[in-house]
Amino acid sequence: VCSLQLKAVINAFLSCCLVNHTVLFTGIPTDEEQATGLEKVIMKAMKQGEDPFNMMKPKHYAGSKADPHLVPSITNKRIVGCCVCVGEEDNTAVVWFWLHEGEAQRCPSCGSHYKLVPHELPH
Amino acid sequence: MAHQVHAYHMVDPSPWPLTGAVGALLLTSGLAIWMHFHNMTLLTLGLILLLLTMYQWWRDIVREGTFQGHHTPPVQKGLRYGMILFITSEVFFFLGFFWAFYHSSLAPTPELGGCWPPTGITPLDPFEVPLLNTAVLLASGVTVTWAHHSIMEGHRKEAIQSLTLTILLGFYFTFLQAMEYYEAPFTIADGVYGSTFFVATGFHGLHVIIGSTFLAICLLRQVLYHFTSEHHFGFEAAAWYWHFVDVVWLFLYISIYWWGS
Repeated sequence: VCSLQLKAVINAFLSCCLVNHTVLFTGIPTDEEQATGLEKVIMKAMKQGEDPFNMMKPKHYAGSKADPHLVPSITNKRIVGCCVCVGEEDNTAVVWFWLHEGEAQRCPSCGSHYKLVPHELPH
Repeated sequence: MAHQVHAYHMVDPSPWPLTGAVGALLLTSGLAIWMHFHNMTLLTLGLILLLLTMYQWWRDIVREGTFQGHHTPPVQKGLRYGMILFITSEVFFFLGFFWAFYHSSLAPTPELGGCWPPTGITPLDPFEVPLLNTAVLLASGVTVTWAHHSIMEGHRKEAIQSLTLTILLGFYFTFLQAMEYYEAPFTIADGVYGSTFFVATGFHGLHVIIGSTFLAICLLRQVLYHFTSEHHFGFEAAAWYWHFVDVVWLFLYISIYWWGS
């Protein structure tokens, strides 16, 4: 009986504090409640509009000196494949080059600006 | 947690592919030995090894996905592609048996009497048990969809009830079909009619049993709270497979039971 009362108290407390606690009301947990590991990390990041694991297409930038392509990296250099110069139909002629830390570099073919943005390994 | 910059799953080393391969080898060679020398040792060994492999491999996948969170969106997408490709391969498997049926039935040879059903064959009445079987599988398609919506909407009790109902309907189909097999006036040895009938419906029945087993595992996992309202791909895969089994039956019913009578 004591544990039943305790359960009722917890239920009341949680239903006041948490808006979408479906386990208590209908029985099937949500990802918010039960996701774990890498799935949870990604879920949390996506909710904040971040993509630390490069699941999405890279963000679109103008590529000019004032608005260079920002390239995230976990070390001090990363390979970049520039499609800007080539046009959308022909992706067999991607221009590949190493982008190093420091000042923005320009694509050897079309001159678009790219800047490396080092950051921590996503944990 | 693994330190990686990508969202994919680099699986830990596992012995199950090897045990599965060995099991498959023992199963196939065991089948040959059994057929020629009446010895079931190798066959039994192969079967046990294969069953153990399946249990442990799939258990590990559940551990990796549900308990360790390795099934990120790209990983799940890959699993979806995998299941779709597998079901597609099964479609082609059945296509072969339908080809065999139509090859023999569209142009029946003189040995059969130049007619289909062949002379001497009394086919099953398509409007008796086979029609009931059709209704049973169609109903199970409805209940499995009900189960899916229950899961997505977070209704635990309904999900368990509808999933249980689906499995019971599957068992009912298998039971009815077993009765039909027992009572049928013709056997697999009765010419090409018997061959096409029992091989096509037999493999279908096997797939019903496989599908029911998959659904039963999902029921167990649902009871154990594995599924969330957004992430329940194991269940979706089982539901896809079940719908595929249902569709194959519809083709079987129309072609072999109805047109073929």
